[in-house]
Amino acid sequence: MRNPKIRGLIVAGATLAAVAASAQVAPTPTPSTRPGAARPAVVRPTVGPITRPPLPGGPGGIDWAGAVGGLRQSGGGNSPVGRRLDPAAVDKTRLPILLPADPDLMGGARIYSFGDYYSITANLTGARVSLTGAAETTPLPATSRLTLLNIGPEQLVIQRTVDGQLASFVRYGVLYTAELRCDAPSDPRCRTDTYVRSLVAKSTVVVMGKAARQAAGLGA
Amino acid sequence: MRAPLIFLILILLVVLALVGYNSGWFGSAATGPSPTTAGDILPGAPVGPGAEPDEPVGDGGLEQLPDEAEAQGPVDPVNTPDVPAAGTFGHFPAGELLPKSGSGYLDRTTWSPQLCFPFAEDAFANSQVYGAGGGMGPKDKPSQCDASNYSLPWRDNFCESRGHASPLCANGKGHQGQDIRPATCKKDKHWVVAAEDGIITDMGTYTVTLTASAPPHRVYRYLHMRMNQLEVKEGASVKAGENLGKASNDFGGTPTTIHMHFEIRSGVAGTSTDGKPVKLHTFLPPYQSLVAAYDRKRAGQGCP
Ligand SMILES: [Zn+2]
Repeated sequence: MRNPKIRGLIVAGATLAAVAASAQVAPTPTPSTRPGAARPAVVRPTVGPITRPPLPGGPGGIDWAGAVGGLRQSGGGNSPVGRRLDPAAVDKTRLPILLPADPDLMGGARIYSFGDYYSITANLTGARVSLTGAAETTPLPATSRLTLLNIGPEQLVIQRTVDGQLASFVRYGVLYTAELRCDAPSDPRCRTDTYVRSLVAKSTVVVMGKAARQAAGLGA
Repeated sequence: MRAPLIFLILILLVVLALVGYNSGWFGSAATGPSPTTAGDILPGAPVGPGAEPDEPVGDGGLEQLPDEAEAQGPVDPVNTPDVPAAGTFGHFPAGELLPKSGSGYLDRTTWSPQLCFPFAEDAFANSQVYGAGGGMGPKDKPSQCDASNYSLPWRDNFCESRGHASPLCANGKGHQGQDIRPATCKKDKHWVVAAEDGIITDMGTYTVTLTASAPPHRVYRYLHMRMNQLEVKEGASVKAGENLGKASNDFGGTPTTIHMHFEIRSGVAGTSTDGKPVKLHTFLPPYQSLVAAYDRKRAGQGCP
């Protein structure tokens, strides 16, 4: 202990050890991994092991009674709104298809059906509208939290996208979307949620093709 | 009798310190950027400064209007998740954004496990805004063609500071996808390909939407391709790996940097920050899926 070299080494060692101990609890603010280097235990509340996404949970749980009520309310399938959609794609869709009561918009609309999911595209001047319906959703990891400033009735959430506004909501147990995409980034229709809100508000027309009618117990 | 005891304790501390040092407990700040895997250089990939176009970039890569932009990110510390991503090439872990560019999303779920890498050739995932030539990029590197943008390691930029909604990001806003630069800083040259089998369900002035045929019917959005030279039209059925168009800088009139903005969207069920269960259609972090897809590509595996 009298040897100043040894004393110096001990002081340096103690200091280094203290730094090492503190490094175990404080995440370093720099990129971290070095090949072959052990890592400090850091607190990471939302990090889990590498996982595959969970499989979509359970059967769709579609509220067919509610959907049939919506179908009746909107004219029992006789609404002019969905008449121009490809009947084969409509028949293939095992979901209540939800459309805005806007014959002008829906006049030239195209439907792409995957059976348990559909996507409809319609043109506006300088913009386009997409409408989708999905039976299934993928569960997020339990540690994930969604920061949503405003959740409206029917779980209505509106998100500003790069080129427009994306609304999603749940009705009849189906996750629906109504999205507006503008040709010009500065188009005022895409800068506020007014248009997409009105689109959701007038989405009242239910259309059911063969597969959906069968699933709803209406017979094809 | 106390002196030997103190000596023993001190010896123990020295041993601890040495072990700690060798184990890298003191961080790797001095060694500079340290991606998950030591960066190997792709053959012929890096492109020197001034390699190609340096036309004015309207938005600095922000992909949004100036008055909606949130250029300066929150200044909270960069997270350093310690679960290494899979990967045989140089890349920072998912969620580790460039310093002061926002807080990354740390969950490591590979949201599209069979993703087909959306470029036919090599490509570089990194930040358009905070990288060289970007609106918030280093002042001494004004060129988007700077070699640093066209070399490894990759960098996640999902949740990077933006005014757009992105509910999985810390404050509910942030970059909704991953920006990827093509193999070289030359527009209209490098093929962008389909990420899954599906249908082109929408085509805008600078966006292409691919809806996957298989559940859960992920929606892939490709931005900034050369729109008047696309290989596909709305309604086209495509196979994973099929050419869609060439990477470019189309952005509704004003050019952006040469890159492809890549989004994965899906219907999800989760919990809001105030504890409410909610279902919505939203943006999922693509980085982990892209890393795995690029690994498969590098291993010579075709797209499923
Ligand atoms: Zn982007």
